[in-house]
Amino acid sequence: MKMEKSLSEYMKLSEKLEIEKHEKKIKLAFLSSFTITGLPEILKTKCNEKQISCQTYLGSYNQYPQEILNLDSSLYRFNPDLTFLIFDLRNIFGEHFFYSSDLKPSQKKEFIIEKINELKNLFEVFSNNSNSKLVVSNLNVPFYSSYGIAEQNSEFGFHEMISYFNSLLKELVKKSDNIFLLDFNNFVSRYGEENIFNYRNYFFGDIKISLNLLPFFGEYLMSFVIAFLGISKKCVVLDLDNTLWGGIIGEDGFDNIALGPQPPGNTFYEFQKFLKGLSKRGILLAINSRNNFEDAIKVIREHPFMILRENDFSCIVINWGNKVQNLQEIAKKLNIGIDSLVFFDDDPVNREFVKKELPEVTVPELPKDSSEFSNILLALNDFSSFEITKEDVKRKEMYLHQKKRLDLEQSSSNLEDFLKTLDIRVTIEKANNFTIPRISQLTLKTNQFNLTTKRYQKEDIEKFNQSENYLVCSAKVTDKFGDNGLTGVCIIEKQKDTWIIDTFLLSCRIMGREIEKIILNYIIKEAKQNNVKTIRAKFIPTEKNFPIENFLPSCGFKKINDYWEFEIGKLFSAPEFITLVET
Amino acid sequence: MSEKLYSLLSTVLNISVEQITDITGPENTSSWTSFNGYVLLSELENTFDVKFTIDEAMDVKNVSDIKRHLKNHGVKID
Repeated sequence: MKMEKSLSEYMKLSEKLEIEKHEKKIKLAFLSSFTITGLPEILKTKCNEKQISCQTYLGSYNQYPQEILNLDSSLYRFNPDLTFLIFDLRNIFGEHFFYSSDLKPSQKKEFIIEKINELKNLFEVFSNNSNSKLVVSNLNVPFYSSYGIAEQNSEFGFHEMISYFNSLLKELVKKSDNIFLLDFNNFVSRYGEENIFNYRNYFFGDIKISLNLLPFFGEYLMSFVIAFLGISKKCVVLDLDNTLWGGIIGEDGFDNIALGPQPPGNTFYEFQKFLKGLSKRGILLAINSRNNFEDAIKVIREHPFMILRENDFSCIVINWGNKVQNLQEIAKKLNIGIDSLVFFDDDPVNREFVKKELPEVTVPELPKDSSEFSNILLALNDFSSFEITKEDVKRKEMYLHQKKRLDLEQSSSNLEDFLKTLDIRVTIEKANNFTIPRISQLTLKTNQFNLTTKRYQKEDIEKFNQSENYLVCSAKVTDKFGDNGLTGVCIIEKQKDTWIIDTFLLSCRIMGREIEKIILNYIIKEAKQNNVKTIRAKFIPTEKNFPIENFLPSCGFKKINDYWEFEIGKLFSAPEFITLVET
Repeated sequence: MSEKLYSLLSTVLNISVEQITDITGPENTSSWTSFNGYVLLSELENTFDVKFTIDEAMDVKNVSDIKRHLKNHGVKID
């Protein structure tokens, strides 16, 4: 099990935190049917460890319906970003928890439907009165059933009732953009019912999650914080010797490393399978290894039990250089922030070196026992996102194309020649239901080419898109190497004579190809057609968007007070080597 | 063992070891809330590898009671 601090340590640490310390901020509310005191303090501390300032609100004990239905409640006044609603089986089932066998199957179904309808009503009231996303727990299916082993033969038994409740709740949540499911049943499977729930604590203080395991529950809730803020990690960087295979290739040789379906190599074999699973959902993989390149690449290319092959890695760095510089090089090559990396290395010295020099990199502690590696990887919540977009799934392929582009760039005599050979096509279209999730994801994640770094949830984008006063567009980019997907966004606030650029961003994947000028040209053209006289923009500097500080003046914008302005009618030339497709 | 106990009380109640006496309890220590009482029991059980019954848990009114119950579970306390 992952090492965790005790609850009292979390409570002590949380007292010392400064509320407004970090750039990233979040307000969390907790509502529950039982005692969860301590959970807000755990989340505050965990957020601080990830450089997030967190304010919390803990609802009154078992008062969640009242807090939601009273429109003047402290909950709404707190105005949370994320609200956790955690209820438990006894609370929902009442006396039926003990005596469900008194009911006929049809009555049991009716009871569950009635409970779901009550919750549906609460969710509607909440959604109508709060901008917060709601994260709702399902119910754990306990070992206990009043039917005993006959549960399995009963028509719609106790456990089936709970599963039915969970499936209806899931359906309800799936219909909403604003509500997400917290799989408490899954959490209980992981840590075990007897470890989580003990009768002494329950009778004594209505504690239904053991105080020892409350920090682990907090870690699970952090997945939602990471997804909400769009700060999930993008790339797992891996060492090779004793990390992806057992032994040292340079010493043990190709035939003697441990890797394969039988022990001792099966720990590495399965670890690689889990990594491959991550890459299939859009997490990039890279190698950072101190080795002779030829020795190591031979294993990757030819070992019969190597699961991860050369094409599974978006960047391979195998040399005798230092691992910190190598990580910096990997981030640069992939054009992602150092803070998007997770680094796996069996060597504690390397881990400490990276932690010290690059504190933004997540460096999980790896024990000597390689059978723990998969478990440690699976316990990480750093890859959490509310949904997996088409672009996520295609990410690995896109980076392979990027590699080919870089090779071509290096062989071209100058940048313009290189760009001309790419045959870039940019498709600009107004936002629609298919593109809105990705547009929101880009506003949440893009740091470098982002003029204002305004973060928007899916429903914010929907509101802009429904308003006559806004124009929301996205850009898809393809070239001869493949499809980069939806990688550009602009949001314009339309005033009578002036259009204001609220958001203008490009994914780091397509920076440096003058695509921004094509998008700007499109905005200018649209503005002209709408008899707009001026386009106004703002550059809000952050720690990360300095690469584009000169973008506006370089395109002819003039500084007027706090804004940059572009007079329509002024000449603006977009690069001719890019084909614009409007839909 | 006393040192371990006092250090634990100090962490959970967020007071210095010097402030802790046998009569330290919820009535004279504002940080000894009912919830911190639960935290205290849970961390005492982890630290000393004991398990308190609900009667013992409810009987704890001060540090002296904790020592008594720990001794009953075979923990040596000065």
